[in-house]
Order: sequence, then structure tokens, then C-alpha cells
Amino acid sequence: MTKKKVSGTQKRLIPAYIFLIIMAFLSVFPFYWMISAATNETLAVARGKLTFGTYTIENYKNLLAQTDLWGAMKNSFVYATAQTIMAILVCSLAGFGFELYHDKAKDRLFGILLLAMMIPGVATMIPLFKMISKAGLLNTVWGFMLPAVSTPFLIMMFRQNSRNFPTEIMEAARIDGQSEPGIFFRMYFPIMRSTYAAAAVITFMNAWNSYMWPRIVMTRNQAQTMPMLIANLSNGYKVDYGMLMMGVLFCSVPTMVIFFVLQKQFAEGVAGAVK
Amino acid sequence: MKSGNNGMSVKRKQEAAGWAFLTPATLLIFIMSFYPILQALFTSFQTGAGVKMAWADPWYNNYIRMFKDKLFLRSVGNTFLYLLIQVPIMLILAILLAQILNNKDLKFRGFFRTCIFLPCATALVSYALIFKSLFATEGLINHILVSLGILQQNYNFLGNPTSAKAVIIIALLWRWTGYNMVFYLAGLQNIEYSIYEAAKIDGANGWKSFWHITVPLLRPTIIMTVIMSINGTLQLYDESVNLTAGGPANSTITMSHYIYNNSFGTGVANFGYAAAMSFFVFILVAILALINMKVGDTRD
Amino acid sequence: MKKSLVAMALIGAAAVVMAMPAMAEEHKLSVYAWDPNFNIPALEGAAADYKENVDPDFELEILTQSGSSDVETAVTLAGNAGDYSELPDIVLFQDHYIQNFVATYPDAWVAIEGADIDWSDFGEEKLSYSIIDGQHYGVPVDNGTAIFAYRVDLLEEAGYTIDDMTGCTWEKFIEVGEAVKEATGKYLLCMDGSGNDLMYMMMQAEGGSQWKDGEPYITENETLKKVMEVIIEMGQKDILYLGNDWTDYTNNTIQGDMVAGVMNGNWIIPTIASVPENSGKWELTSLPTLEGGEGYAANGGSSLYITSNCDNVDLAKDFLAKTFGGSKQTYDYALTNGGVITCCLSAGESEVYGEGIEFWNNQPIYADIVAMSGKVPIIEQNDYHYQLRTLLGAAVVNCINGSDLDSELAGAEEQIRFQMGL
Repeated sequence: MTKKKVSGTQKRLIPAYIFLIIMAFLSVFPFYWMISAATNETLAVARGKLTFGTYTIENYKNLLAQTDLWGAMKNSFVYATAQTIMAILVCSLAGFGFELYHDKAKDRLFGILLLAMMIPGVATMIPLFKMISKAGLLNTVWGFMLPAVSTPFLIMMFRQNSRNFPTEIMEAARIDGQSEPGIFFRMYFPIMRSTYAAAAVITFMNAWNSYMWPRIVMTRNQAQTMPMLIANLSNGYKVDYGMLMMGVLFCSVPTMVIFFVLQKQFAEGVAGAVK
Repeated sequence: MKSGNNGMSVKRKQEAAGWAFLTPATLLIFIMSFYPILQALFTSFQTGAGVKMAWADPWYNNYIRMFKDKLFLRSVGNTFLYLLIQVPIMLILAILLAQILNNKDLKFRGFFRTCIFLPCATALVSYALIFKSLFATEGLINHILVSLGILQQNYNFLGNPTSAKAVIIIALLWRWTGYNMVFYLAGLQNIEYSIYEAAKIDGANGWKSFWHITVPLLRPTIIMTVIMSINGTLQLYDESVNLTAGGPANSTITMSHYIYNNSFGTGVANFGYAAAMSFFVFILVAILALINMKVGDTRD
Repeated sequence: MKKSLVAMALIGAAAVVMAMPAMAEEHKLSVYAWDPNFNIPALEGAAADYKENVDPDFELEILTQSGSSDVETAVTLAGNAGDYSELPDIVLFQDHYIQNFVATYPDAWVAIEGADIDWSDFGEEKLSYSIIDGQHYGVPVDNGTAIFAYRVDLLEEAGYTIDDMTGCTWEKFIEVGEAVKEATGKYLLCMDGSGNDLMYMMMQAEGGSQWKDGEPYITENETLKKVMEVIIEMGQKDILYLGNDWTDYTNNTIQGDMVAGVMNGNWIIPTIASVPENSGKWELTSLPTLEGGEGYAANGGSSLYITSNCDNVDLAKDFLAKTFGGSKQTYDYALTNGGVITCCLSAGESEVYGEGIEFWNNQPIYADIVAMSGKVPIIEQNDYHYQLRTLLGAAVVNCINGSDLDSELAGAEEQIRFQMGL
């Protein structure tokens, strides 16, 4: 009886499966193309060869010979990690403060901060560059991340999620003599784990993938990031597509791995934000 | 709040702590967003660059100029076209996907969700390169369409104004649908699954429960994603630059791309004019976000 | 509490300035360049040359950028911030920018006066870009002389030879183009549609300019109109392929074997030559003209400029003078390793330049190009070169799709005058 019911349900779901398979295929296909291109030589890629080739090692060797691949990987990793840690710390503190100590003044301030979300990047780029340049922060991790550490979006995310934070615990902790920062670090931090995971995934991806700003402030070779490295490869008078796709592959793997690892927490964290 | 003997000082301490917590973030936003935008406001009343920098005459000249600038107006038109076509398709697709994936009878849910979200993990630079090579005249899409007999001969997708816009829209859909889906999926998880079960017993079919349960309950999430999408689309830059370079014949150029071009890349910088146009974008985003929130609120 | 203090301190640290003091070094220079297959090997060769023959302790730090536009952006940003301290000692960028850069950011540059360079040995047209108020600001690296490269095997299939093409009229070119398309399915001409330099090169081959007395010269310009008509006709007859952007042009169009002809600055040669199976099938010659006769033009090409951030101007000048300013060793190395062709006229006499190149059907292309570079006419230039290029490029695309040329040209003139504030 139950078996029949299950198979009946599954039968009704066939259109849904077909739709999902098509969407999943479309989503994943460009990745397949990227990986297969990384194994082919440039002419085969330019002519749309779909199958795997035998040029993987050559493409990797050429990439190593022409660029400082591992240097750029390391830079991207260091900058993105630093930005992630700073951003989730600063923004979660703010979200915590805005929601759990909220009063009229703070709500109004939050409204003002939200305005910053609407400021187009192109508008602030030049004044920001002047500032970072005058402070001597060009080519440093600070120059890379400072403009992106505090974002209204993350603050909002933490603020929304904080609504699920049981206030009774705070009261109890205060009675136990816990200090306010103590509450934040000992109670809020562990309870909000999944929000932190979601925020970390989003920030890390944004930081790793950012291109316009790093291109302006990271002027030295030694400070180059992965997206910059790829862009450099794609703009010469002569472009080796196989090698380029190998670079694109290297640039994509870390963010994909992070997403795979933190997927579950990510979904939970986002769920809290839209409640 | 329970208060002891020194209730006032505890309260004050808490008050101070609350402000202290949000100070670093607030300061950073003021220094890194509000101060530069103020500077940009001053710049927007000037013209030229370097030693040729001077006050505009009249001071609001840049703001008049942009409405006479056919190229800028075209970039506004293009951006709105992306907004009006891409955002609705993307959001509807994302809600549909979320609704389907929320069905507990469905197998391999995690697998599908991961696949569909995966595009978000790619860098903008990378995905523009991937799409460019896929849609090239000798590229893979052409090979497939020709061998299936859909096209007679290879078609230059990025060389025709209409198809180039379509490629940008397809690329945007690919990159962002999964991202929005995750928000809806999260929103749906906050809806008690039993509501659907009850609806099913009442005889509501999939579509009915979609329109009458899912959409209304997801409203806050929808408002948030719409605002995010409007904001993202009006500031669209990377796709226009990396995928089509704004071409052919400026037919795909976006506002941010045109603003950038007025600062860099053509040898003659006009920072004042660029700043004035950025302010226009800022005001547009703010107005649209406000309308959105109002519409979302008054439907109760 | 301790933990929280540490965290607070961490946030505070965000405000700490971590400036690294720039060290002045006596034997070291830094330079911005951008193409690992082109100008970067040329600079490496120059550094090795200087180290070997002048200063054994010399060191050149090459800072790789993604393109000339990155260097131009860096200069613009630094100029606007009024802070040149992050610029390297020397920068390399495209010739069209320097006039405006010197006018807008005069304190960013150091004129190359007093350097030991025989300027008369360089093509006049090339130098005309970087001479401002009678002072030299740039030392030329690559020569932008335009070439027209043809696939002789494909021409032959259609019943023509490269001699038919040398000095032919554009009318005749279109005839051949149609025959080639019919016989082989390939385009006889191609260009990057997002940066369409055809009008500019074809105008220069006629000795004409899109500018007159500092103002745009478009609707009244009969030559420009004829040139545009030719381009549009070629586009409509499917003889001309306009790539969507730079990589589409180089990778898909040229390397993807869609074409039987390429016309551009000679820096396009490495792109053509990167398809080994086409070896021996290409040859090159000068440009067609409207009335017939060989046309000479230049497109692109870049020069090295010394910035005001350079602590050791004498070393920079000496380095430039003894390498790109006249050293056969540098020129030969740049040519063999990067395909960079100098505009130093006497360099064309060297053995390396005179060699027949197998890929080019044993034509001594480098000597031929240096010879051509001396014949390029000087025409009026303008700071708004790239803006006008964009507008005319858009007009071409629109006309190929059916718009009216006169109204497109009028629109372009109106827009460029608007942008120039005229």
C-alpha cells in the first residue's frame, strides 16, 4: 500500500524531475566546458571542442611558466580570508548591537547605513583610491579589504538572524555576572554558528572574486590576485585559451570547495536572515 | 529588566556596550562610503581632470548635460531593459525552483540544489570568459545549433545588438538564479510544511498552493530579493565590460560601464561628469527601493 | 573578557597604517608593461643588454599589467589623486594618450632631454606623438606600421596573387573579396568591432585625418565618407568580419581560421603566426587605397615614458638611450623573442631583420615593415581619438544593419562635439 503510494507520488513528480535535470544540466554545463577546455590546446578550445584532451599538463606548465600562479593563489587566499574574518566580526558585532540593544536612535542609524547599499561602486572609487593612496595602504591587505569590511548587507543579515537569539539567555547571563562582550563571544558566537557560516561563505566568495577594486589598489605584481591574473592572461595580443581556462579552473576551485563544505550551514544561516 | 541596587549603572553599561558594538561597522561605513560619496558630490560640480579641473559653469551643468547625452540615455535604456526582462524571469524561475525543491517527496534534493547554486561560486571575470567562448561564432553553442540543424550557418551572437543583449541576459540568469533560489528556499523552510499538507487535503493543487500559500508567505523575502536585484542590475558593470565590451555599437553598454568610460579608458577623463552620472544612479536605486518597500507594505 | 579584548584590538588594528618606505636603489628601475608574449620579452632583452654592456649590477623590475588600459588607468588615478608615488620609474602605453596626459598631468612626466639618442633614425610619424612643445617624452618600443597580410593559398584558389593586391584600389579589393568568399568561404578582411581601427588606418593611407584644426572633421569630409562606404559595403557583402571584442578577433577570427586577410598594426603578426599549420601560407604587403597605389598607415604601437616618481632619472635616460634608443642587440632580441619591430630605421638593415621568415613564405617581412614605417604620412591627431573611434565604429555597425550613413555620421559628429564640449 505505502509502496504504491510512494511510486504514485514519484510518478507525479516526473515533470519536476525533468525540469530540475534540465536546470541542473544548464547550471553545470559551463563548468564541464571550463574543465574540458583546460585539458585542450588553444586552437581546439577556440573551435569549440567538447571532449577532454591531452593538453592538461602542458596547459598547467605554461601557466606556471608565464604567471606566478601560486603567488596569486596565496594572495587571493590571504586577502579573502582576512576580509572574511574582519567582515564577519565587525558586522556581527553591529548586527548584535542593532538588534539586541535596539532603540529608536539605533533603528534610525541602521536606516541611514542601509543607504550605503545603494551607492554605486563607480561613484566612490576615485575618492576611495585617493584615501587609500594617501594612507599608504596601496598594495596591502588593508587597502584590499577596508572598503568591503563593513557592508550593510551583512549587518542586515546578522540583525535579522539575531531575532532568533533567545533574549532570556542574555538576561540569565547578566545575572550570572557576564559582561556584555562576554555575552557576545561566549553565547552569541556559538549560537549563531550557521549565520556566521553563511556570512563567511558570501564574504569569502565576494572577496575572492572581486576584480575592479583590487585592480586599482594592488599595483604590484607581488600583490596580484587570481581574477587579476586571469584578466592579464586574457588580454594579450595572443591568448592561449587552454592555459587561460586552466587559470579559470584554479580560480574557481577554492570558492566551490568552500561552498560544498559549508553548504548546510549556509542554507540555515540564510533561512534565519529571511525570517 | 530586573534592576538591582545599582540598576542605573548596569543599564548605562548596557547602553554603552550596545553603541560600542556597532561603532566599528558604523565608522567604517561612514569613512568608506559616506565620506567618498560626499567628495563625489563636490566633484560632480566640476569638469575635466588634473590641472584642467575646474568648476562647471553653471555649477549644475553636469546634471543637465547627462540628459542631453544620447550615449548616456542609451545606457540608461539598456540597463532598464535588463532590469525589466532579466529580473522578473530570474525571480520567477528562482521561486519555482525553490518550490519544487521544497517538496519533501523529491529525491536528490541536495544534489539539485548544489548544481543550481554552483554558478554563484564563479568569479565574474571567469564566467564572462566562459560565456564569451561558448557563444563565439566558432564556439560550442554554434556547433551544437548547426549540427542539430537549428541554424544554417554559424551565427555571431555577440555581434548583433539583439542577440548580444540576449546573451547578457542569459549569462545573468545563469549566474544569479541559484543565488536567489537559496533565499527563497530558506524562506520556504520557515513556512510550516503542514500548511501545504492541509492545503492538499483541502484539494488545492500545486499551482493553487503556490499562489495562495507560497507567494504571500514569501513576501518579505521577495521584497528583499527584488531590492537586491534592482540594486545589482542598476549597477551592472562586469558583464557589460567583460562579455560584450558594451558593443556592438554601444548597444549593450550599461550605466556603470559608461560612467567608468568617462573616467578611464579613453584618454580624456571627465571625473565631474562621471560623478554626476553616478549620483543619478544612486537616486534611481533609492527611489526604486523605496517604491518597492511601500508596495510591499501596503498590500496587507 | 581577555578574548574580547583581543578581538577589539584586532578591529583597532584596522586603522594602523602599514606603509612600506620605497627604497631608492642605484641600479634598479621598474616599469609597467603588459604582454608576456610581446613587450615583456622585449623589455627583458633590453635589461639583459644594458646589464651586459653598461652596468653589470643593473636590474629591471617589470610590473605586469593586463593591458595598456591598466597603465593608463594607473596614470589617471595617480594624476587625479595628485600622488605619483606608486607609479614605477618608467611606464609603457599606447601613443595616442601621451599628448593629453602631459597636458592634464604635467608634473607626472620627465622629458627625455639630454639623452644620447639619434632621433633622426626614427620614423617621423611615430615620434610626432610623443614630442610636446619640442621636447621628447617617449622612447618608441614597437612600431605601429600597418600591414595587410594575405593567405596566398586562398587568394590562389580564387585566382589571384598577392601582387594583384599590392597597391590595388578598394573597389578591386571588394571584387577579390567576393571571389575569395565564394571559393573558400573565408573573409578577406577582419577587425575588432569593439575597437574598429579600419577608418583610421584607411584615412591615414589616403593621407587624410578625421580631425581638422583641433575639431572633428566628419560630415564635410568626403574622403572619410568614401572610406566608410567601402567598409559598409564590405560588411554587407560579407567580405569583412567584425569581431565582437579583442579575443573574438584574435582567437576566434584569426587563429580560428575564419579569414584570408588581416589588416592592422604589425603587432598583430604574432597572433597570425601562432597557427603552425598555416606556415608558408601567409605574405604581407601595404594597404589598398581609394584611387589605387600603395597605402601606408600606422596603428597602435607604444612608447616608454619616464615618470616623475623616478628617483634615478639619469639611469632611466641612459637605460632607454642605450637599449630602445639605438641598440641593435635590444632590437634583435625583441624581434626574435617577442616579435616587437622597432621604428629605428637603421635597425632594419641588421641581419636578423633581413632574414626571410619561413612562416611568411620566406618573405623578409621585418625589413619590409621597417621600410614601410618610413613612408607613413603624418596626419592630425586629437586627444579624443578613442572616443571618435567608438562613435564611428558604432556608425559602421548600424549602417551595415541598414542605417543611413549621412545621418549616422551627423549623429557621430554631434556626439563627439558634445563630448569635447564644443
